[in-house]
Amino acid sequence: MATDLTLPIDGADDPDELGARAADGAATVDLGGRPERSRGFDEPTGLRRVGRYGLLAAVVAIVVFPIYTTLIAALKPGDKVFDNPLVPDAFTLDVIRAAWTAGNLDRYLINSLIVATIVTVCQLVTSVLAAYAFAILRFPGRTLIFFLFTATLLVPAEAIMVVNRDTVDSLGWLNTFQGLSVPFLATAFGIFLLRQVFLTLPRDLLDAAAIDGVGHFGFMRHVAVPLVRPTLGALALFSFLGTWNQYLWPNLVITEQDMNTVQSGLRILQASIANEPNLVMAGTVIAALPIFIALLVFQRQLVRGLTAGAVKG
Amino acid sequence: MTPTRRSRVDVAQSVRTLFTRTAVLVLAGVVAGACSSGESILTIGQEDAVSTTTAAVAPPSTDASGSTIAPTSTVAPTTTQAPLAEFGDCPVEALDGADGPVGITFWHGLGNDLENALIALTDEYNASQDRVVVDLQNQTSYDSAIDKYIQSSQDGRPNVIQFPEYTLQSFAQSGTLIPVEACIQASGYDTAPFLDRALDAYTFEGIGWAMPFNVSNPVLYYNRKVFEAAGLDPDDPPITLEELRAASQAIVDSGAATYGWVVDSGANSGGGWFLEQWFGRAGELYADNGNGRVAPATRVLYDDSTGVELLTFVQQMIADGLAVSVGDNSGGTDAFLKVADPVAPGAMTIGTSAAMGLVFSALGGGLIPGLTAEDVGVGPMPGPGEEIGAQVGGGSLWIVGEKGDEETAAAWDFIQFLVSAESQSEWAAATGYVPVRSDSVDIEPLASTYATDPRYKVPYDQLLTSVEGEASLSPVIGPQREVRVATANAVAAIFDGADVATSLADAAAQSNALIASYNQRN
Repeated sequence: MATDLTLPIDGADDPDELGARAADGAATVDLGGRPERSRGFDEPTGLRRVGRYGLLAAVVAIVVFPIYTTLIAALKPGDKVFDNPLVPDAFTLDVIRAAWTAGNLDRYLINSLIVATIVTVCQLVTSVLAAYAFAILRFPGRTLIFFLFTATLLVPAEAIMVVNRDTVDSLGWLNTFQGLSVPFLATAFGIFLLRQVFLTLPRDLLDAAAIDGVGHFGFMRHVAVPLVRPTLGALALFSFLGTWNQYLWPNLVITEQDMNTVQSGLRILQASIANEPNLVMAGTVIAALPIFIALLVFQRQLVRGLTAGAVKG
Repeated sequence: MTPTRRSRVDVAQSVRTLFTRTAVLVLAGVVAGACSSGESILTIGQEDAVSTTTAAVAPPSTDASGSTIAPTSTVAPTTTQAPLAEFGDCPVEALDGADGPVGITFWHGLGNDLENALIALTDEYNASQDRVVVDLQNQTSYDSAIDKYIQSSQDGRPNVIQFPEYTLQSFAQSGTLIPVEACIQASGYDTAPFLDRALDAYTFEGIGWAMPFNVSNPVLYYNRKVFEAAGLDPDDPPITLEELRAASQAIVDSGAATYGWVVDSGANSGGGWFLEQWFGRAGELYADNGNGRVAPATRVLYDDSTGVELLTFVQQMIADGLAVSVGDNSGGTDAFLKVADPVAPGAMTIGTSAAMGLVFSALGGGLIPGLTAEDVGVGPMPGPGEEIGAQVGGGSLWIVGEKGDEETAAAWDFIQFLVSAESQSEWAAATGYVPVRSDSVDIEPLASTYATDPRYKVPYDQLLTSVEGEASLSPVIGPQREVRVATANAVAAIFDGADVATSLADAAAQSNALIASYNQRN
């Protein structure tokens, strides 16, 4: 699905120019290829076109190849894996089933889901509150504090990982959900992203709300947050993906097998069954599947949210 | 144009509806969380502050231990009794006074058939008595177990942990573990049936720190079918390096396989461990002060003429197309898979005896078309000199300190079970490890295994025939894990054609710097 990047033209018909257009600023951005398929300004013809698609096809082949081999191995019975490894000449779902059981994957998937949900919800809450403050409120030191917040984007997570681990350890939170999630409950990236979008909201809205006797909190809940929905959606997806795919952190704070997330749990599966490589492949397929589906479903929101504010509507 | 547009809009709308629902949920979360609004941000800031303070105030407990180490100058194997008391005692009786079962945790780094065998033993132990319940936790590898142990506070550490042989000095000096010898003495445990070499291997400065549990050494794995095709006797694998080269030559010349010998440069295999083993077999010291057995090692000796000669031999075989390197072999299976490679296979490789169960079960499961478990021959590790021999490798069991009397006693009880004659017999038969005691060989199931499949007995015989002496005990070096990595990097470069003497000298210089820095700190 969604091979073209044309964004839904919602908001265009919306009479409420001030609100919706500002919030869905990106909605009217066309990333090439209108519905009627008129030639875009950079659409080549003839041989150049063949060359371009050839190149794209080659890149796709390179990107897809490892995924393809993983899938093939995951769907082949154990004694056929090294027999024509690139040809799907045998098919069985037994391997997936075996990996599910051998890898304790149900438990790990639930752990991942819990942690990713906690982190996503908390990141949204903290990001909205902080971003609102930085974008709308006026208080002394606002610029400096915002600068400090964004400066943390420059500090790689690995740099503070040891300290974070010691903190979690001293709190006695090793092998717990709070230990897995606490360092990630606020994100400078989310604050920055949302602040930029909040800044596009016309101040007239705030003035109008103030006249109606609505305070900052009410304005945020009833006007600002609903208007930046697409960006919130993108941020939620980003947080969820990022947390789901975490590998290093769970490995640092988990020593009890049952508390592993699916990514760190795969390592146990891999260590436990080196003689059945296709089980490991099946495990990775299972681990990747939920996130793959989420991406398919929410791809539009992701692109839309991230380009929101890139071009003012 | 219209239909296209319509369908696109429809999709957009349905996605939008779906998204709206999500957004409502998210908003609900926002609203629900909003009650504690501004505090969240403040709290985050405070947490950062807290973490910084914690790190500054509480140094890792491993660092605070140097003072308890016995002075290195007074070391002699006979002065065991005096220093032992300094390392905490082993309250072996405490289990009798416990109300209800004592729960203990055991971290290990084993996978595959090894893990299954360990689970079976642990289950057997838990079912056999009602005083101790062992919780087995797989840390996926030795290195991962070591890392997690070092990172954890004493509370987060397990009661029993399995460490590989190369960590002996660093953990003996960490001050966080209770020497098993304290428990052996306190309970009057009889170590007479144990292989002396296994116990000696885990003795540092006269104290037996760890209980040998899974003893392995490198053996030669080879494809018997290729040997037959090349006109070699599959029951008479090469023992010396000359024979190894001659066999490889015959295999390559006959076209039975593309390469004779598969080598690797992994730190815990071809790049480090096997080199130590070769020095042991040659009767040469790998590190000074008697391989670190007389006093802590201060420098490595592997860049001497023996080391240069050995690695020149391997480099020459690679250059002549008789051997092929599979790189760092990080998963431990690359070298084996190269032997099974359908395109350009090798005929032989050196690997740990602990992989025997894995190799046989993988081949038994039909993983490699046209290669069965019976096609795999196992012989002693080929190496310098005429006589076979090997050092004690593998892993051992350590008791973690400051866990309370009952848990310490429980840990010791569990360890005694794991190294009982029956358990070791079961363990060795299932895995390819060498039993740590000689009486295990005479009881079932190991007696039958050794009788019916002599391949399992190769590492045992090899260990027992080794010449006695310091060189035959594995080197003890403080930062041995790091030293092995430095060595392995040099070995990898040598395999790629770098100058042997220079590469080894560089690696030795690096290793010596690591050792000097370690010795200064401990």
